[in-house]
Amino acid sequence: MSDYKKPLPVVQPYSQAFWDGTKQNKLLIQTCGDCKATIFFPRQQCPDCWSTNLGWMEARGTGEIYAFSITYEGVEAAFVEDLPIVLAWVDLPEGIRMQSNIIECDPDSIEIGQQVEVVYKKINDDITLPYFRPIS
Amino acid sequence: MSLAIIGIAEVPTKRDPERTRWDMLTEVCIGAIRDAGVDKDEIEAVISVNPMAQPQMALDMALGRVPEVLGLKGCKDICVLNAGGTSTTNCLRLAKYFLENGQAKFVLIPHTTVQSDIPTQELINFFATAPLDMQWEYPYGVTFNGAMGLITNRYMHDTGATAEEIAAVTVSLRAWGALDPNSIFYGKPVTLEQVMESRMISTPLHAKECNLLADGAGAMVVTTHEIAQELGKSAAYELGHGVRFTGATPVLRKDPYFVEAYRESSQDALKQANLGINDMDLRQIYGAYPFTQCSALEGYGVCEPGEAAKIWAEGRCGPGGDLPCTTMGDATGRGHTGSGVSMAFYLETVRQLRGQAGERQVSDCNHALITTSGGSVMNTATTIFGSAPR
Repeated sequence: MSDYKKPLPVVQPYSQAFWDGTKQNKLLIQTCGDCKATIFFPRQQCPDCWSTNLGWMEARGTGEIYAFSITYEGVEAAFVEDLPIVLAWVDLPEGIRMQSNIIECDPDSIEIGQQVEVVYKKINDDITLPYFRPIS
Repeated sequence: MSLAIIGIAEVPTKRDPERTRWDMLTEVCIGAIRDAGVDKDEIEAVISVNPMAQPQMALDMALGRVPEVLGLKGCKDICVLNAGGTSTTNCLRLAKYFLENGQAKFVLIPHTTVQSDIPTQELINFFATAPLDMQWEYPYGVTFNGAMGLITNRYMHDTGATAEEIAAVTVSLRAWGALDPNSIFYGKPVTLEQVMESRMISTPLHAKECNLLADGAGAMVVTTHEIAQELGKSAAYELGHGVRFTGATPVLRKDPYFVEAYRESSQDALKQANLGINDMDLRQIYGAYPFTQCSALEGYGVCEPGEAAKIWAEGRCGPGGDLPCTTMGDATGRGHTGSGVSMAFYLETVRQLRGQAGERQVSDCNHALITTSGGSVMNTATTIFGSAPR
């Protein structure tokens, strides 16, 4: 996969655990040890109480589509081969909303409220990206 | 609250790389100062709108070239402000600081942008990445159109607005643009069928509902209410202002289509102005995507939640309608000049309040509300202007 031309996530020290998790096909959510908030995206301190007593929990790996759009053109050159691209906001039962793509389905069949599950794509030795697909 | 806009100038929005940034900038600065009827050496500060994606011009402005080129001998200081689409609003707010503490009697606020000489792929990259989180958004092929299409879909899901009703917003915006010599779409209205049959870019947005990047420039001269009255000039008087921050990253916002931000910023501004939403003769909404023209009306309290798209589809917000909105055409009806869209919004508001808006003139236009937004609507800044001071 070394010929991957699309942008890779710019990983931060405090988000490294998230990307270590996806490498093991686990979706990790940052949690606050003090106020018990679930935090997305990962930060250096809890955005609710500024605690630095932060940990990680493994998400169930399921979610519900809050909103989506199917893009047919106008993307950067590296993404053209993937068109149409389904951009979606997915609500996780753990209380966070993530942005990703819905894959492995007919884009025209997607609906708001649809149940989805996480699917992992290994990009290289460092990065595995989480995507979602409809639960059949 | 003491700011008044007394001079304006603008060049038509076009795609024409033959017009250089400095040619247009010089033309609008001289034009606005002449329109204000003041001497160039009376300008005591130049506060420029940051030209997005044009690093050399941004540096030229940041490091003081504008007053030097124009020979503004009385200029005490300069500044460039960047908040994307709210840059012009920030320029007005900093101008108020100069005016209110007596540092300046007249402030020049210019903008210039040329995008037609930037390669298309470079522009796509810039506008794809400028507002995006490099870790959580960029790897997923996010574009401005994709993110705004997604929010449009959710707005439609929640309100029951149909794709035809959303497309009708663009028909009305283009109808205003067709009447505006400064619009790239002057003389070019579109029908509902033409919008719906244009290429699908990012559902539910068709090509004609997305932004055409273009070149443009505008400038204004501002002063205090008192000086504007002494000069006896026809002016736009700021009467109230309110702003709300929604967040940098769309997916993290609690207010996905900004209804609460429109509501709260407009209520703050109207309260300062001691006016109500029904006192407004004109509403100018800079959201760059059609759903914002609807969610803003709902936030302002012009109508009930979910009714706005129908109101647009009935033509009530377009030319001849009883609720005129966005006579400037917004970016979809005029051409997107980067951070210059908000400049063009203020200039059009001044024309309306002065009775100089030609075929777009709203009758008896004495109070106008204008909302600008930056980034992917990271904020909503709402200002009330009147044709007379309080």
